[in-house]
Amino acid sequence: MCFKWAGAVLIVLATALLGNQKAIQMKQRVKQLEEFRLAMRLLMAEIGYTATPLPRALEYVQNRLADERVKQFFAEIVRQLGRPEVGDASLAWLRAIETFRGQLALRTDDWPLIKRAAAGLGGLGRESQLKQLEAVEIQLASHNSMVAANCVRSERMWRYLGMLGGAALVIILL
Amino acid sequence: MLACPHKDIVVKLKMAKMAWKNHILPILPPRLQNIFDLMSGQAAEELEEIRLRAGKVLMIHSHRGENFVGLSGVTSSLSQAVTVTAAELQSTLLAVVEYSLYARDEELRRGYLSLPGGHRAGFVGRVVPEESRVKLLRDISGISIRIARAVKGAGEALLPQLYCARQRRVYHTLLVSAPQAGKTTMLRDLARLFSDGDLPKGRPGLKVGIVDERSELAGCYLGVPQLDVGMRSDVLDGCPKAEGMMMLVRSMSPQLLVTDELGRPEDARAVEEAVNTGVSILATVHGHCLEDLLKRPSIGYLLQQSLFERLVFLSRRKGPGTVEAIYSEETVKSRLKTGEIGHVL
Repeated sequence: MCFKWAGAVLIVLATALLGNQKAIQMKQRVKQLEEFRLAMRLLMAEIGYTATPLPRALEYVQNRLADERVKQFFAEIVRQLGRPEVGDASLAWLRAIETFRGQLALRTDDWPLIKRAAAGLGGLGRESQLKQLEAVEIQLASHNSMVAANCVRSERMWRYLGMLGGAALVIILL
Repeated sequence: MLACPHKDIVVKLKMAKMAWKNHILPILPPRLQNIFDLMSGQAAEELEEIRLRAGKVLMIHSHRGENFVGLSGVTSSLSQAVTVTAAELQSTLLAVVEYSLYARDEELRRGYLSLPGGHRAGFVGRVVPEESRVKLLRDISGISIRIARAVKGAGEALLPQLYCARQRRVYHTLLVSAPQAGKTTMLRDLARLFSDGDLPKGRPGLKVGIVDERSELAGCYLGVPQLDVGMRSDVLDGCPKAEGMMMLVRSMSPQLLVTDELGRPEDARAVEEAVNTGVSILATVHGHCLEDLLKRPSIGYLLQQSLFERLVFLSRRKGPGTVEAIYSEETVKSRLKTGEIGHVL
């Protein structure tokens, strides 16, 4: 009997943990999208105000971000830019996306937006470059507000679902 | 005419013979990088210019003339020379601008960019105009990479002729030569020598203000001089000459103002104003002889006003920096009077 109860507690704990994990992932997604948006704004400031070349501008952006994974994403672009065979900021950005696709909390529908920032990166005049990054930043903002609204609902749902799913399983098994 | 101290001395290019590789190789595409990395000996030591043209053979220039470059180095055979591709030009351009065209678009509009180490890359391609101005340069079809070499000591022999020990000041001096005859190298070294000074020889260091409109003189990269222009030198990089001279006079109280390639009317006005404030002027101008200078209204005006106390004519007859003649203020006056304004040789 004791083992039964111990097993039941374990099942509930495990499913609650799963639900919680899912909720954390959703929150992280919102946070990381917000970090990308901040990165766009910082990059625009670097380009618009001081016309800092990309390797240094990206390093500056990286140092001002809070999320460790997103920081590493920008570090990867700088690393790619240093490779002679890359030779293009767009390609460096796309390669960083390939490397980090599975390592961030972002979902499939988030990546096309991040990818858009690569278009013409470093190959445009100052005004065009700023317009292009601004467009990406606006899209990221609207996309993230949608994701965030969804997240508030789903986060709670996943936490309950984890706990209640475990409890239901225990009842069935008992 | 003053005695020419080293008329027959060739100013040897002996400094930093191979240092260019550290700065130039990283901006070249991998194939060209390998070629120039392997280049050694005289070709590498005397290299003055690398010419990349889309769909054309790779060429280099030195004071000995031009050469083709093949996979295994310098060659005289056109068939062995490598052909530069448009993609390689684009890659070089992006590397020069650090993958950020927006960061250097203003310079690119002028057709050249300064590189680390004081070197310079010039560009040609399709110009997109806007209201009779160059809006941007695109579809780059040719790049000329000019290697900057600081030749320390190049100006030493000229010092006694250009420095007035009694008044402890530099004579207002104009260095005159055709392009690529060592004007800028000489000017840079004179700026260094006057800036550092030599107290045991009775020449204290002077505060030198350098207006480096084309980033060629001090070879500034991100505002920091890459070439030695002396310990008391203040450099205004990328600044229009006329405006820069006045800015320096007001802000840095220089004793000597140094600038390259005078020519525009506003440059002449700024020189006149600076001279009247008591600052010495050391500048360069394109030309072969007095006649050439007089044909240019603004320079002609300065000569007629006897603003320059020394005119130094350089050539590359015995290598860049060969001093052909040094005219004092009196020589200029008498030559103007007698009409002896032809070739100095």
